[in-house]
Amino acid sequence: MTDDNDPMTDGGTDEEARTDGGPPATVPPDDETPTWSERKENSQGLAQLTYQYFERSRREDEDLRTESTYVERDVLGFPAWPHETIRNLAIASFFVGMLIFISALMPPHFGHPANPGSTPAIILPDWYLYWSFGLLKLNPLNPELAVLDGNILLGNEFLGIIAHGIVFGAIALVPFLNKGSARRPVEEPFWAAVGMTGVVLSLTLAALAIQNFFPFELDLLVTLTFLLPVLCGIITYAVLKTMREGYMYDLNRRYYMLRPPK
Amino acid sequence: MSLKKNDEMDHNAWLKNQDLTVIETAFLTTLIWVDKRLRIVDYLELLETMYYRANLQMPKSHTEQYDLDNKFWYWYPLYSLGSLSILAYLVAAVSGAMLGFYYSPSTAGAAAQGDPTAAYDSVVLILQDVQFGFMLRSIHSWAAQFMVAAVFLHMLRVYFTGAYKEPREVNWILGVVLIGLTLFFGFSGYVLPWKQLSFWAAQIGVEMALATPIVGEWAAQLLFGGFTLGQATLVRMYILHVFVLPFVVTSLIALHVGIVWVQGIAEPH
Ligand code: HEM
Repeated sequence: MTDDNDPMTDGGTDEEARTDGGPPATVPPDDETPTWSERKENSQGLAQLTYQYFERSRREDEDLRTESTYVERDVLGFPAWPHETIRNLAIASFFVGMLIFISALMPPHFGHPANPGSTPAIILPDWYLYWSFGLLKLNPLNPELAVLDGNILLGNEFLGIIAHGIVFGAIALVPFLNKGSARRPVEEPFWAAVGMTGVVLSLTLAALAIQNFFPFELDLLVTLTFLLPVLCGIITYAVLKTMREGYMYDLNRRYYMLRPPK
Repeated sequence: MSLKKNDEMDHNAWLKNQDLTVIETAFLTTLIWVDKRLRIVDYLELLETMYYRANLQMPKSHTEQYDLDNKFWYWYPLYSLGSLSILAYLVAAVSGAMLGFYYSPSTAGAAAQGDPTAAYDSVVLILQDVQFGFMLRSIHSWAAQFMVAAVFLHMLRVYFTGAYKEPREVNWILGVVLIGLTLFFGFSGYVLPWKQLSFWAAQIGVEMALATPIVGEWAAQLLFGGFTLGQATLVRMYILHVFVLPFVVTSLIALHVGIVWVQGIAEPH
């Protein structure tokens, strides 16, 4: 209906009278919108670098795609329906079923109401925080860290907090310390040993948290807490090193069949 | 101009001519109904374009692609631990929401030290009077424990299959945050019934916070509502447990899984 030449006011044909001041709100025609390459040329500094990097990574993708022997999935393999779906449903229902079964079998204990006036003999969190609780019971170690007249340098609780920081920090650092394409424990016995040390340490720390349940001296328990994990680490290392030779032969053969060296 | 509606594309007639199953007919009918009103086809097309732009194609499964048939299958169940964490999280969320109908986060009602508080009593109510309440609390508690266990084991599987290496460092760090939040989820829930062990576990929490230099007192006030435990502590733990953590953990899990989706599962070789 409305043509550009049609008057939009009550009869006047004066162009100036069409709008209430501003320029007509029009969308620029397509050929005025700059293309990506024009934008790239017009840009400078960080924006230009960004475009350049994008181009590089595009090209990298493109190269990888043309080089690769990667085949998109056709009908090979298990179809999502029904195979995968039924398998997943089976796993999921088994899991939830076990959860409900165990809930019915072992309902959680419910203790006495809180009493700020009487400290219970044994304070324990849920099992999954035992390791953390164990870290708070490291005070037998603390005097050894002491300098200056046997005054302890850190409060016992603060020692525990630092220990937490170290644990989380160490875990977070793993990907930045262990690089490379190795995946299996046999390929890197050292890192598998570190892992086993960590796992066993979390168990022994949990044992430290429930120290009251052990019939031997605390000193021994603290020693074991750190000795056992290292021992397990060493054993893991030894075992994997021994397995490595034969295993890696197989693995390398398979690997180079898949990705022949260039 | 005629006012009569001129349906150029008679979708329904097209539908009738087709030889379709019931499911297909129902799907198309719904799609057409919604599309006539919201024009969702445009958005679907947009999504599809984005999907291909991002080069997210369905790859072959790892076993297919690397022909790992018999080298790898026995590790495979461990790859479902992440999903099982989510499943346990969902069960905990549903049972938790139902517990929330009856629980009240209040330390009122104790005449003397050691008397039951309103929070304690509301859990007793759930255990004794609410239909199915005893089982509900049991399920919630066990779901939490299953989730923590699954997350621990999931982390171990990621570690021992070396799945955290480039380019998955970000997801590993995100995972470390998630496991911390999961544990804190458990801790804050443990405090809610305000039983003896809840109280003293929270007491240890406050002491830990206070032992930290510089930020300690601030953290104690933020998380526990003060330096001694009371109503403020309980309400803070409650809000953290049923409002803040659910939102944060759910979004982080979505991000975590989203990154897995974009990056693909680390190929075992
Ligand atoms: C709330 C807790 C968590 C949930 C719900 C979760 C969920 C998932 C899911 C569903 C996957 C897909 C693969 C699989 O299931 O194994 C995955 C992968 C991954 N997760 Fe988690 N996760 C959680 C915690 C963690 C933790 C604690 C870590 C490590 C510190 C972690 C690191 C990773 C990494 C690196 C991947 C990629 C693995 C690969 O590509 O093979 N996640 N996560």
